[in-house]
Amino acid sequence: MEHTEVVLEVRNLVKRFEGLVAVDQLNFKVRKGRIHALIGPNGAGKTTTVNMITGDNPQTEGDVLFYGKSISKLPVYARANLGIGRTFQNIKLFSTMTVLENLLIGGQSKTTKSLLKYLANPRIAQKEEQQLKEKAEGILNFIGMYQYKDELVSNLAYGRQKMTELGRTLMGDPRLILLDEPAAGLNPSERKEFIDIIQKVFDQGVDMFLIEHNMDVVMNLSHDITVLNFGCKIAEGAPKEILENEEVISAYLGEGYRKQMKKEAEQNA
Amino acid sequence: MKISAKNQYLWIGALFIAFAAVPVFIHNNYYITILNQMVINMIVVFGLNFITGLTGQMNLGTAGIYAIGAYTSALLSRNLGISPWLTMMAAIFAGFLLGRGLGYPSLKMKGVYLSLTTLAFSEIVRIFATNLIDITGGTQGLNNIPRFGIGPFMLDSNVKYFYFILLIAVIMCVLSIRIVHSKWGREFRAVKDNPDAIESLGLDIKKIKIRAFTLAAMYGAFGGALYAHFNGYITSLSFTTDLSINYVIILMVGGIGNILGNMIGSIVVTLLPELLRFLGDYYQITYCTLVLISALFLPNGLVSLYGKITGLMKSKSTSEGGES
Repeated sequence: MEHTEVVLEVRNLVKRFEGLVAVDQLNFKVRKGRIHALIGPNGAGKTTTVNMITGDNPQTEGDVLFYGKSISKLPVYARANLGIGRTFQNIKLFSTMTVLENLLIGGQSKTTKSLLKYLANPRIAQKEEQQLKEKAEGILNFIGMYQYKDELVSNLAYGRQKMTELGRTLMGDPRLILLDEPAAGLNPSERKEFIDIIQKVFDQGVDMFLIEHNMDVVMNLSHDITVLNFGCKIAEGAPKEILENEEVISAYLGEGYRKQMKKEAEQNA
Repeated sequence: MKISAKNQYLWIGALFIAFAAVPVFIHNNYYITILNQMVINMIVVFGLNFITGLTGQMNLGTAGIYAIGAYTSALLSRNLGISPWLTMMAAIFAGFLLGRGLGYPSLKMKGVYLSLTTLAFSEIVRIFATNLIDITGGTQGLNNIPRFGIGPFMLDSNVKYFYFILLIAVIMCVLSIRIVHSKWGREFRAVKDNPDAIESLGLDIKKIKIRAFTLAAMYGAFGGALYAHFNGYITSLSFTTDLSINYVIILMVGGIGNILGNMIGSIVVTLLPELLRFLGDYYQITYCTLVLISALFLPNGLVSLYGKITGLMKSKSTSEGGES
């Protein structure tokens, strides 16, 4: 397992805001065929890390590698075109548009016809548009959102909006998806549905890197976990190892969580 | 209640037909001049709609763009004797270069900084036009800008010219509709809606903005060229910041981001000064008050009235007709 290909690598990543060090000398690797989670208390630098990977807020020092190639100097859209998709902590959808239109924009970077060609011969572009539409409808079926396709995004429930955002990301054929708190704000049934879809996408060969506060989600989904505290990595490993790590418990999980886990383990035994 | 796309095109078609019928009833040359100006404004605002209406980037440089189009076509045709057909193409090309050239540095800025950059650009153009007296004639202006013909058919009267630019306006309108409903139109709207999400989808936001800006500049420069050949005379006094703001007002009063709204705005805002002429000294204050009222009570412009009225009629007919 340790020898599978490295999808994403972060090397000595540092982010400083004025005098404050938000992330300090961070190193980790996301491997092919693994769901990697980044956890830690509020303000530990998780979203900052994601923003450094996507380029939304580039690093002060260090390097980000995607399939062995440095991407840390590329603009955001170029990284996305390499196959890094993302969802946002606070949903960022096009709220005045329908679900279908949101997905179409998500797949638009892959279309090739220029404006002039389109104006000269609308048929070519219509064909392209039709293909894009079919792809979007396929994805809507896949995430169970087909019946909402002509609904305005702003009229949808929060959980449905989150799902739309995931669908929009999928339209770009990502090889790696960065999920920023996918379960936040979802009720238990929505959460379960979302986890199932993430699992389904993962089974199709898309790697995942997620930030999450909900430990059930993290334990259910992830194969590897990196724990951050005050911008520094304090632990890394399989979910079981993390649960038993003293430092993680004192910094993030708390004594109560350990007791609860023990109880559950006894009940199971 | 929003106006449906199909209804909107019916209205646009009806408006164009109404326009074509006006010279049949009105023979006053002065009114025909206003009619020409109205249609030219329409073409310019179709362009401004891309960048300010759809993409949501406030552009206060329309006068500069319009002036460059006017001077390009006027100087080339008047001084070098090139056919106005070619010089108008040159004006559109100048608009294209301008959109690309000015778009790159200015669209890096956001919000009010972009507005100020475009405003400054427009002022620079005006100051150059005023002071390069040898070329532009300064405030004295350029006269004898030639009219032209379609083959042997000379566009020598204002009515003939009006039908010519009306045809151009129809073509520009169809192009606009096509672009709005293409993937590019969708990108424009997306930039206005949520600019933070665009780049994470692999789309270069700067490119999209430059595209919208270039379209605006091409439409604007074309409008300027049409104006120059229509009027036969241009002076740098016409291309003031007031003119830029006037175009933004047309856009707002008609309905931002809506092509039918652009047409209605052009009609209303071009006619208003004429209708309010009887007020004399009180004209300006009345005009401004009306614009203010429109901005306060109809933020989506006069087109939104349509939806409100049909919505009201529907609710009335359903309440009268019982359960239907």
